[in-house]
Amino acid sequence: MNLDWLDAFLVSGLFYVMMVIGLALLLHLQLGLARIANFGVVGFWGIGMYAFGVLFVKVDWPFGEVWAFLISVVFGTVVAGLAGLLVGWLIADLDIDGVLVGTLGFATAVWILATTEQDLTGGALGMGGLGFPYDIGSVKANETLWLVILTILVAIILYYVSRVHKSPYGRLLISIGDNEPLARSLGKAPFQTKLWLFAVSSAGMGLLGAMYGVNERFLETGNLGIDITLAAMVGLVLGSTTRMWGAAVGVALTVGLFDVVIQFYLPLPREWYTQAIPVLREMVFGGVLIIVLLFRPYGVLGDMRRDKLMRRMHGG
Amino acid sequence: MNDCPISIIVMQSSVRGAGQQTLMNHDAEHVPTLARRAGRETALMDLITDSLVIGLTEHAPLILAAMGFALLYRLTGLLNVAYSETITLGAYLGMWVNTTYGLNFYAIVLPAGILAGLISVATYFAIFRPAKNRNVGVLEMIIISFGLSILLRHGLQFIFGYPVRFYNVPPPNTIFVLGVGVSSFRLLALGSVLVLALLLFWFIQRTTFGLQIRALATDEDLAQVSGIRPLAVTVLIWFLAGVAGGLAGAFYGVGSSVAPLLGWRQFLLILLVVLVGGAKNIGGVIIAGIVTGVALTAMTLQFGQVLWAQLVLIAAFVIILKVRGRRMADTGKV
Repeated sequence: MNLDWLDAFLVSGLFYVMMVIGLALLLHLQLGLARIANFGVVGFWGIGMYAFGVLFVKVDWPFGEVWAFLISVVFGTVVAGLAGLLVGWLIADLDIDGVLVGTLGFATAVWILATTEQDLTGGALGMGGLGFPYDIGSVKANETLWLVILTILVAIILYYVSRVHKSPYGRLLISIGDNEPLARSLGKAPFQTKLWLFAVSSAGMGLLGAMYGVNERFLETGNLGIDITLAAMVGLVLGSTTRMWGAAVGVALTVGLFDVVIQFYLPLPREWYTQAIPVLREMVFGGVLIIVLLFRPYGVLGDMRRDKLMRRMHGG
Repeated sequence: MNDCPISIIVMQSSVRGAGQQTLMNHDAEHVPTLARRAGRETALMDLITDSLVIGLTEHAPLILAAMGFALLYRLTGLLNVAYSETITLGAYLGMWVNTTYGLNFYAIVLPAGILAGLISVATYFAIFRPAKNRNVGVLEMIIISFGLSILLRHGLQFIFGYPVRFYNVPPPNTIFVLGVGVSSFRLLALGSVLVLALLLFWFIQRTTFGLQIRALATDEDLAQVSGIRPLAVTVLIWFLAGVAGGLAGAFYGVGSSVAPLLGWRQFLLILLVVLVGGAKNIGGVIIAGIVTGVALTAMTLQFGQVLWAQLVLIAAFVIILKVRGRRMADTGKV
């Protein structure tokens, strides 16, 4: 396949944008519907990435690489899901302050483990040995196919989120987010509902982390900073925390603008890209969070639209 | 560079004095039982002494910052993530005054704190007050403070440059306390914590302004109809919290280096200390801060790995929060 027309850096930029859209969609379920402020997105993403990487690289697999790869991906996803279950159990009945501490603490714990367990993770030096489960020719072709696979995965997440919006489970999440004591008084089980939500969405974040690790072919603790959480959160807040398409629109307008448009299409001096642009990018992201929540709290797309059933019930 | 909200503390300024070698280094097989027991007891005493002295002096800025954070949290009900940048600002402002005007550290500590306090007040007027007036929810308020934290952190990086910066100070004097050498800067930090804690206690419990603060924290509407001016009291609280954070930042900065992530690395510990210590009571926060500092040091000395000590502490604190339960009303005053 001739991919000369395609810039390799553009593929990498688009991969990052697509991955953040996936994370923002999962965060939308937590923050937008159930109003759980997960400030530790990077922790679930990172534990999936490292669990996948460690199993794939460190185990002497007796069978083919494709199977080893698939088992490792499933392992990374399951570990992230179990971590979500544990953190969810810790925070599900706590107030916002407790949720902030629990999620931030979990992200820090993942970073500490990745840094200190050098025999497994390579510590601060990082860990190589990861690769695609196929080889269709050039590196660019492999990366492009991986971008296509990620896009399909994100489309599946989007479909799942749309199903949640239309389901009784989604309405339960919204009611818990709006008024948890009321939901409890109506016989619902907010704790279990939040636990399940946290486990599933965390598993999704872990899967996205594993896919990122494959694309990078190298795991380093520098990836476990606040940037990933910030990118997902700012995209979601700008788009709309409560609308399904908010994640995609917001991430495209923020991460897409900086990591694709400015990186590839603006003729800026080369040295700006290494220092000034990344710093400006984070400043703008921080500023966007403040301005949007002050002046347009429901983001670009506005507040949640009720589904057909609800509109009929309320005469809308 | 990682940017996890936790400190990496190098205990560079604390050394055990000569003549304090324990019996641990001797060949155990040739030491009689009593002597071995004595050796173990000496080693335990050394660990306790080291943990107390190093823990208190090394983590004095943490207690200072936690007091400021708790003050703000008590009045406003807001977990202000941007408080981590108040600490960083104190470190940068102190370093800037120190290196620009050639003033020694003792002369710049207070100006650094006051400047940080003024900037804290400015953030209240520019962001948090308008947000309150617009009835922004508690969760959104935390996200706003998160955004402000990111904006300030990278703004500082933009203004002061990318490399790590240092204070221009002569090497501090080493003073031996219970046989453990500590730097004079760290002793000053500890002294400042003591003075500020006493001042805060006196101010909140014994002055009219303190009474107004307590009234406002309890019931804003009732306080208002009683003739209390909420704005003046609120501004004062933001200023005092900023000063405490700024001073902590200056002490952190002179003890190691100044970098944009300085405050963020301390934030999780500060948050844990305040939530576990109980923001309603400054005394509880101080005790939680002291226990945190001493426990961190003891575990670091035992494990030989500061990150493991922090991991254990985070897990312990989160479990305490879980067991105790923190189900507060979803309201915030700011």
